[in-house]
Amino acid sequence: MRARTVPGEPLVGIAAFLDGIQRSHVRAHLQGIPAVHGAVAAAVRLRTDRRLSAWAPPVRSHALYLPQPLFDATDYAALASRCAVVDTLADHDAAQPLPRHPGDLAARALTAVQRDRERAEQALATAWVRERTDPLLIDGGIAGTEEVARSPQVVGVVKSHRTLYVAGDAMATVLGLREGERSTAVVVASPRRTPIATWYLRLRDAGARGPFFGLVRVEIALEAPDGITARADLVSRWLLAERAPVALPDARWDVMVYGIRECEQYLTSILQ
Amino acid sequence: MTESPILGRVVATERKPNTPHEFHFWTALDAPVGIGTIVRVASERPISGVLPTVYGVVTEGFGYTDLQTPLHDVLGADGVPGASAIAPTERTEIRLYTAAVLRHVPEEPLQPVPMGTVHLATEQDVQLALRMDSYLQPGAARGIPVGMYRAGGTQAAVHLDADFLLGPEAAHLSISGVSGLATKTSAVEWLLGSIFAHFPQEKGGVAAVCFNVKGPDLCFLDQPASSLSDDERAMYAALKVPAEPFKDVQYYAPWTAKGFQLATLRSNEALQENVQPLTWGLRETLQYAEVLLNKDDVDAKADALIDFIKERVLDQAFSDALFDAPVEVRSFADLEKWFSTLLRAMESRNADVWRTHHVATIRKVRNRLTNISTRCRGLVTDDGSVSDLPFGAFRDRAVYVVDVANLEEDAQDLVFARVVSQLREYLEKRQLGVSQVVVFVDELNKYAPADGPDTYVRKMLLDIAERGRYLGLVLFGAQQFRSQVHRRVVGNSGTALYGRMDPDELATPGYQTLAPATKARLATLEKGQLMVRHPHFGQPIFVRFPRPAVLTGREGVERFPQAEELPLDAAITKALRRLDPSITLSWVQDSIALAGDSEDDILRARNRTLQTKPDDVKAFFRAQLKKRVAAEPARRGPAPLRAGPPLDDPYGG
Repeated sequence: MRARTVPGEPLVGIAAFLDGIQRSHVRAHLQGIPAVHGAVAAAVRLRTDRRLSAWAPPVRSHALYLPQPLFDATDYAALASRCAVVDTLADHDAAQPLPRHPGDLAARALTAVQRDRERAEQALATAWVRERTDPLLIDGGIAGTEEVARSPQVVGVVKSHRTLYVAGDAMATVLGLREGERSTAVVVASPRRTPIATWYLRLRDAGARGPFFGLVRVEIALEAPDGITARADLVSRWLLAERAPVALPDARWDVMVYGIRECEQYLTSILQ
Repeated sequence: MTESPILGRVVATERKPNTPHEFHFWTALDAPVGIGTIVRVASERPISGVLPTVYGVVTEGFGYTDLQTPLHDVLGADGVPGASAIAPTERTEIRLYTAAVLRHVPEEPLQPVPMGTVHLATEQDVQLALRMDSYLQPGAARGIPVGMYRAGGTQAAVHLDADFLLGPEAAHLSISGVSGLATKTSAVEWLLGSIFAHFPQEKGGVAAVCFNVKGPDLCFLDQPASSLSDDERAMYAALKVPAEPFKDVQYYAPWTAKGFQLATLRSNEALQENVQPLTWGLRETLQYAEVLLNKDDVDAKADALIDFIKERVLDQAFSDALFDAPVEVRSFADLEKWFSTLLRAMESRNADVWRTHHVATIRKVRNRLTNISTRCRGLVTDDGSVSDLPFGAFRDRAVYVVDVANLEEDAQDLVFARVVSQLREYLEKRQLGVSQVVVFVDELNKYAPADGPDTYVRKMLLDIAERGRYLGLVLFGAQQFRSQVHRRVVGNSGTALYGRMDPDELATPGYQTLAPATKARLATLEKGQLMVRHPHFGQPIFVRFPRPAVLTGREGVERFPQAEELPLDAAITKALRRLDPSITLSWVQDSIALAGDSEDDILRARNRTLQTKPDDVKAFFRAQLKKRVAAEPARRGPAPLRAGPPLDDPYGG
């Protein structure tokens, strides 16, 4: 892996921004079982004349996340008749014992909420690639659905680096990227996911603020008409153009583009 | 009711809650709303089965982005101001407005303004918001148009309630604004035209007395404006006020100190038809001696002597042991003679006291009183001739302009005090000729100052302000600084108009109730814009009014240049020719030469002739001169045919 300076000036190319948010709270403990209220929302903010507005209605949902097998069937049905209910053990391996610890159950509920948020985002991303031909920036990876992962107009930007897709010398190269430099692109493939191309891009000078400051990982579809290198350069120019306006006061302002912050604010206001 | 599109939405937070008198709403960035815009809130939650509607006027506006600190913008632009301009996305921005409530419908229960959609007020909304519906309904039409409300495409006529502008419910008008922006005088001229066009006939007649205290401001009210724009004509049409000058205007001005011609800028020959002298004699003046004599001049002893003269000496045959024969005092000249006789007699008898009055007091009063005719020369005549406003015969929708611009301050006070007192007296007796009189006084801060000595004029103004509405005596006062006018005068003004205001004035306590944005708008108002306070309006409202359809003072003096100062004979010719156009300069010269009178006598003869308006002017004038000229008796009878001026006469035409 090598570092390369992104050629050319920053270029405005992104047409819209997609993000999703989730909220979850333990509302009650029923027979010792946590009842979690979860809410998710996702939206695409379309940029027109430098201003953002909603593209298509945002996706919103509220539900009570409960482990159905642990409830009395009558009680569960009664709850389901009054509100949306999601079974947090729906994909539990029947061969395994049912979890009983309230902490485990709450964690499962959280996972279920997260899954619903991802579904909401994927639904919007899918709608976009079916209806539009201009570039959509997604907050996070793009490999969740095949249709999106194969779309040339989708760009995923991953801000956190809990998992690093490089090791050894390549890691040094990535962590040593300077502002406006990117790593060469690599292919990420796994048996259950559509392969995509990915690279690291330094949006802002890290200075003494740590190796991850201003560092994002970008994902695009593997099939690029002009080749991955040219596409990665172009997308990197688009992202460098999104450094202004700065996403402050968000704590992740060094890696977050303003369109995503605005989308988050929009979702926060409609989810209240 | 026509539904206007949604302009914004009401918002309320714990930090910025809505109250029954104030609410907040946001709009799109390009919404046609600004300070002074009237809006309607349509609530979505019924109360007792009724959806409340709230009307408000925008008093403050806020705009901000999602930036927490300006430093963030600096960081985002790398310290380069131009960099922000090329950012691909503009920051989220808000336009948040605060509106003061004008009216709740229904009025009860009075609750905080509910959440709901905000709409631009339609014409009907403006009527309801300003409670004009109560006095514009058929059968109770008491609306006096004051201007047009314009905002976001809405145009609505704003009316004042005649009962609250001219009495009896409330009355008086105060208009403030910096000088030189053609607001105060223009607004009053416009409003008088509007009153004359709309004051209900069944309420009786209405007239106006305007004091022209400076320049030519009010000197051409009967002349049409040089030009009115299409927009202004449209405004006249919309407000149903004829775009024409006042039809019935009478001008009154004192003579100049020399007495040859009237002291007014309306001296052009072409405009003399309705210009009359304003002169008073001893009786008229002595009645208001208090105006001219300050407390230092007149102590209790002097006051007692003045009262004695007024009651026992003036206009009657006065007899006393010191006087050889009964004396009649009818003029300042007579009074001077009376004092001389009295003092000579006291001296000859070595008397210090006459009828309890000490000789020093008598000398002092003589000095002060006889001095008045000098101080007010041109207005006060030695000979007692009087030419006055037609008290008792005021005409409906007539304007009486009293031009005191060229008088000394003392004399202005005297004119003001006497005219207003006479108006009051006649109105009390219901004998003025009209039921309401608007008295327009410019520079009210001079006559009723907030501080300073408690003068006769100020006391009189306070009295009018507090009690005038019951009589139909209505004060329209204009001033640059409202804060400098006595608070009881401005406090009793039911209606107040504000043109462009001085920022220092806006910083005074009287404007504390206005929001900063409203003050900022007041400080930058254009010509033709006013802020209006009226008892029916819950909040001040901004309106536009058209230029008055009369010639401005500045244009007037250009179009009608002032007449040159004439020699005595020519001045007499000019004055008499208004009564008889056949009079020539040579005839006047002959008459004067033959009479051989002093200038004062000749002027007195002219004044008497002008005052009497005899049918045979020549004969009457000569009869007033000394008997060296064979005087013809002044006859009243069929008016003789009047010839036009001789063609070769230099003052003809």
